[in-house]
Amino acid sequence: MKDHVLVFVLGAAAWAVPLFAQTSPLPLPPAVEKDLAARASDVTEVTLNKNMLGFASKFMNGKDKDEAATQQLIQGLDGIYVRSYEFDKEGQYSMDEIEKLRQYFETSEWSPIVRTREHGEITDVMVKLVNGESHGMFILSAERKELTIVLILGPIRMEQLSELRGIGGLGGALGSMGGAQHGPHGKNKDKDKTGDNDHDKNKDNNQDQSKDTKDGGQ
Amino acid sequence: MKRLWLIPVVCVVLVIPAAVVLASSGEGAFDGVVGSIESKYHVRATRIPFMGLVSLISHKATYGGVSGMHVAEIENFQTQVDGEELNRMVEQKLGAGWARMIRETSRNGKEQTLIFVHPEGNRMGMFIVDKDGNEMDVVQISVDPDHLNQSIGQYEHSHHDGDKQGDDSE
Repeated sequence: MKDHVLVFVLGAAAWAVPLFAQTSPLPLPPAVEKDLAARASDVTEVTLNKNMLGFASKFMNGKDKDEAATQQLIQGLDGIYVRSYEFDKEGQYSMDEIEKLRQYFETSEWSPIVRTREHGEITDVMVKLVNGESHGMFILSAERKELTIVLILGPIRMEQLSELRGIGGLGGALGSMGGAQHGPHGKNKDKDKTGDNDHDKNKDNNQDQSKDTKDGGQ
Repeated sequence: MKRLWLIPVVCVVLVIPAAVVLASSGEGAFDGVVGSIESKYHVRATRIPFMGLVSLISHKATYGGVSGMHVAEIENFQTQVDGEELNRMVEQKLGAGWARMIRETSRNGKEQTLIFVHPEGNRMGMFIVDKDGNEMDVVQISVDPDHLNQSIGQYEHSHHDGDKQGDDSE
């Protein structure tokens, strides 16, 4: 009888551990997130997991062609996470922190496709490639007094980003993407101004980008 | 035979409280959050009377789209609110089943928005805490997107029809 109780307790514990182990859904170092939030004057966090996206998609009119496409896109996604920090004054975050955030995604799965550094403003876009298909997107947009991080998990292409503008917090962040909506295999050289060797990872996608190097990835 | 009229009366008397009780299920978490806010920030929340009945009516009016409504309003909220602390308190009172969907916080504490959701089968429970200036609203509702979309769609169609008619008349 005791054994049964023990098995039950262990089973329950094994089931409960993942529930309690849930930390920030955004796969960033929690310390970085906390630090930035503590220094920011305004913080916006949007966390939409698969369940919530499914729920949101039900509000779309499946009969409307555009909305049906968005609905289909959202239903296929695993999550959308947005973190936006606004600061009172400049210099509230360091380039080291930006690098740390970027490095977090510099794994073999993630490939940088856009990197711009202009007048103190930074935009980084990385895609997660699985069997040559985009299964996630990380967007980091840093302005002098504002920092926005967007993580989209699930199958998505650059040209579909505009369809997500209606989702809370994404409009502004995706706005910074501007004309860079040509996809990892596309003609994104207008926006890609990266100068370091990160693009070695996805040479096949970005062979023409090295020609457009401007500022040497400061 | 004369007392047959008693049957519908008794039914109504029995059904209404049952419906009100059902509509006010989930009140525990709501009262827990409101109570914590009241004691932490020394404020007094105004609860709307007969909310269970209002909830029942909204359930009928939206064809089941919205139900389980709870609303509390706190006026003259002068105390500064630490966003992190408020979030922790609400999270703790709601329990593990609720996930935070949106959090908006300003350091000066004047604006705070928290939206939590909780899947309930085909429905989604929503818990909203919103502080704007000296006013805070706490709202809990249960939403059925399919039914709500349907009832919203009705108005959209009639609105478009109205537009068309207006265009025709021009």
